[in-house]
Order: sequence, then C-alpha cells, then structure tokens
Amino acid sequence: MNTSQGTAGGAPAPPDERTVLGEVAQMIAGVLDDDTGTDTDASADIGADIGMDTTLGDDLEMESIDLVALSARLEEWYGPRVNLAEYLAGLELDEIIELTVGRIVAHVRSALAEGS
Amino acid sequence: MSRFLFVVPPLTGHVHPASAVAAELAARGHRVAWAGQPDALARLLGPGAEVHPCAGPPDIADRPRDLRGAAALRYLWQDFLAPLARAMAPGVTAAVREFGPDLIFADQQTVAGALVAERLAVPFVTSCTTSAELSGSLSGLPRVAEWISSLLAGLRAELGAPGARHDPRYSPLQTLVFSTEELVGPGPRDAGPLHFVGPALGRRPALPAFDWDWVGRSGERRLVLVTLGTANTGLGGRFLAACVSAVRDRSDRMRAVVADPAGALPAASRHRDGDVLVRTAVPQPDLLAMADAVVCHAGHNTVTEALWHGVPLVVAPIRDDQPAIAAQVTGAGAGVRIRFARADAACVGAALDRVLDDGSHAAAARRVRASFRAAGGAPAAAARLQELAHDEEEQPCQQHPEVP
Repeated sequence: MNTSQGTAGGAPAPPDERTVLGEVAQMIAGVLDDDTGTDTDASADIGADIGMDTTLGDDLEMESIDLVALSARLEEWYGPRVNLAEYLAGLELDEIIELTVGRIVAHVRSALAEGS
Repeated sequence: MSRFLFVVPPLTGHVHPASAVAAELAARGHRVAWAGQPDALARLLGPGAEVHPCAGPPDIADRPRDLRGAAALRYLWQDFLAPLARAMAPGVTAAVREFGPDLIFADQQTVAGALVAERLAVPFVTSCTTSAELSGSLSGLPRVAEWISSLLAGLRAELGAPGARHDPRYSPLQTLVFSTEELVGPGPRDAGPLHFVGPALGRRPALPAFDWDWVGRSGERRLVLVTLGTANTGLGGRFLAACVSAVRDRSDRMRAVVADPAGALPAASRHRDGDVLVRTAVPQPDLLAMADAVVCHAGHNTVTEALWHGVPLVVAPIRDDQPAIAAQVTGAGAGVRIRFARADAACVGAALDRVLDDGSHAAAARRVRASFRAAGGAPAAAARLQELAHDEEEQPCQQHPEVP
C-alpha cells in the first residue's frame, strides 16, 4: 500500500489527497467494524464506498463516540500533529452534521504540511 | 403524607420507571399526581392515576426516519424537547396550582417540569430515566454542548426563573439515576448531586397469552430475545430479518423470540417454526429471566432490564441516547456492539457467537446485575423522595426564587 506514514523520516512533501483519502477511509471502516472481530462482506464494502463527499453523519451514521475513536486512530497513524479532536472541538453543531470525509482529509493534509 | 407531582414525556421508557416509583410512594401513604399527555398516560399508567393534562408536541414517531447522529440530536432538542417544554408548561403550571405538590419529580428531558418548578418555587428532583446525558458523549464536542445550553437558556427565559443558574437537566437538590455507576461511570462533576438507584422495574400489565410452550421446548439450545423497543418500530425490518437468518443458521444451538410490534419483518422471515417465534408483543421481563442473550437497540430500559437478569447483549444502537448506552454496555464488558444500518446475518451471528460462547460477557453482565440489585430500585427512589419532601417541609430550601 502507498503510505504516508513516516513522513518525518525525510520525505519532504505531504502526501497527496488520494493517498490520504485511502488511509482515512480504511481507518473509518475500522472504526465502523470494531466489535464483532470478523470481516464480514458488509464491512469490507464500507472502505471502498467512501469518497471526499461522503458525510460522516448521514452517509456513514457515525456518532460522536465514533468520531472520538477516529481521532485516536488518526493520531496513531499520522502522529500527534494530526489532532482531529481539537479540530472537532471547534466545530458548531451544523458543521458537525455536514462534516464530510473530504474535510477530514484536508485537515490531515494541512496538519502534515504545517509540521513538515 | 406528602404530595408528589410527576412530570413526564409521552415516552414509554420514561414513564415505566416513574410509574414504579409512584406505586412505591402510594404504598407508603403518599399522594402522587401526574402532569403529561393524557392519552399516553392513560395507556401507560392504566385507570386510576390522577393525571393533570398537558398539551403535547408533534409525535416523536413522526420525525424523519433517516436522521442519525448529530442531526438526530439537533432534531431531538430543537424540534421535540423544546416544543415539548413550551407545550407542557401551561399544563404543568395548572397542575402545580391545583394539586399543590410538596415536591416535583421531573423527567430530565421534560424541561417544563424543572422550569415551572423554579418559577413557582417548588422544590424538584430530576428523574434520569436514561443515563446517556451522564456519559459525557458530547465531551469532545464543546460547541454542541454549548448549543444545547443556549437552547435551555432560551427556554428558561420563556418558562423558568430568569435568575436561576443551575442546568435545568439536573436539580440542585437531587437527581435520581435509574442505573448504577458500574454501568454509567461516575457522571459529570458539574451535574449536581446524583443518587444511583438502579433500574425501577414495576409491574407491567400481563399479556393475555403467550407461547410459553414454545419457549419451554428450548432444551439444550440457547434462547435469544430480539427486540428494538417501542420507539423504533417501523425502522427494523432489514435488521430483524438479519437477526432471524443468523439464528436460523445456528438452529443447532440457539433459537429466538423476536418482537416485531409494527410487522416490519418481511413475510418470508415471519413463519413460525421450532427455531424462531415472531410476536407483535412479548412479555419482555419474563422472557429476560429465561434468555441467554439479547439483541437490541441499546434503549436504556431494555439494556437495564437485561442486565437486571445478568443477560449479555448484542447492541445495535440506532440514534439518540442509544450509542452512549451501547458504549456503557461494551465499556462494562457486558456485550458486543454491531452496526444497526449495516449488520448482516453473518455479523449478527458472529456477535451472538461471541456473547454466548465467550463467558466473559455473561460474567460482566452478572457483575452489573449485582450492582443493580444492591442499588435498591424503585423502593430506594421512593425512600429518597420521601426524605427530601420531608426535609423541604421542615426546612424549605431557598434556592428557588419566587416570581410575582
């Protein structure tokens, strides 16, 4: 897999949108498939269906506790520069309702660009 | 003898525990009256209850079905609970004037109870029938919490005592929580005094007949109860069908009773055989006493009733308080969470295998059961209300400003 992990180790440019989208989509699928410990067909499909315009609320039915879990996964993968929890804390209710995967991807890319 | 006014929303899961507490108070010689929607209360309380009628908002069952997450939260407060408070306030005010309660027991989500109490300077205790507010599920979203606070401040300006400072969802005197810290955690620090009494499981009207013969033929097979509660009845067809398939795939080792009040299951899944029994109404408390696992939507009442019997759960939260309650269940180790919108038969089946085969979930459920049974339930709640009403008569509290 083409990965952006370890950019601090000398890779200068922040990862492109497509790469980050793929990684974020995988992490979202992981959050949504947390408890049964089995890879069912239904869960395998989630990652493939996620695009920049997918909304976390309406489309993916993620709840506030799922966003917290996603924050932890993002930080684990990208390091402490990517702080989704802090980003979410600044959002109004309406912005959370409209939150798209694209906004998360943009947040990750800008956080990585700032840190490099 | 003290007089208690119970203020409740037209929601089954909020009225049942209050009703159990009211019966305990009546048995101790106190008088209880109700403020709420007369039709809903007649159905849930039966004849003989003293009901002071309040107007109702649009039915919560009418809300758009696809609302989830933060959008469901916005709808719940903006389009249901706030209009409910405005609609009920005149009826609650009239009830207080006619009945003259020593103490108001106000449901946490029926904000009219708390706000009219503070305006008329009657002491009130909060009835917390779903503990999701205590779980801090919005702790990572401070602006959402602020949005709710400002909505409540607006309601206070209209209906309450403008000088009051406490959060109307938590009485400064006492909040009775129908759960325990073992399941909920300690609760927020700024919530005012909390008293955990565990589930209040009163008597329910007996169902005329049920297929106990069928249940009795389980033999060595494990018995699973599948229910999505009373407030999500139209949503569940696909999910219930997945549950039915999962159980049929494992019919060598399990069978299931499925509650389907709205007839949401496709006809093909509904046929009766030795493996699956589908009914529009089921005697849930009695079935839980015999069940080995429950698949449900993580409604507060269903979860606490299951854990009262030490039964482990597969939880598929749909919305509102359910994701937070589901997180309480998995946090306590008493169950497995799956996705309501996506779970297929394989996923439900894998979750059932886990809670039935891995003894850790049943062991955790029994730990929560021990905490529930030690907490005292409806009698403990009634005793606390009685004590507080007595204290207030002796030493009226000064925190409720009288408004001319």
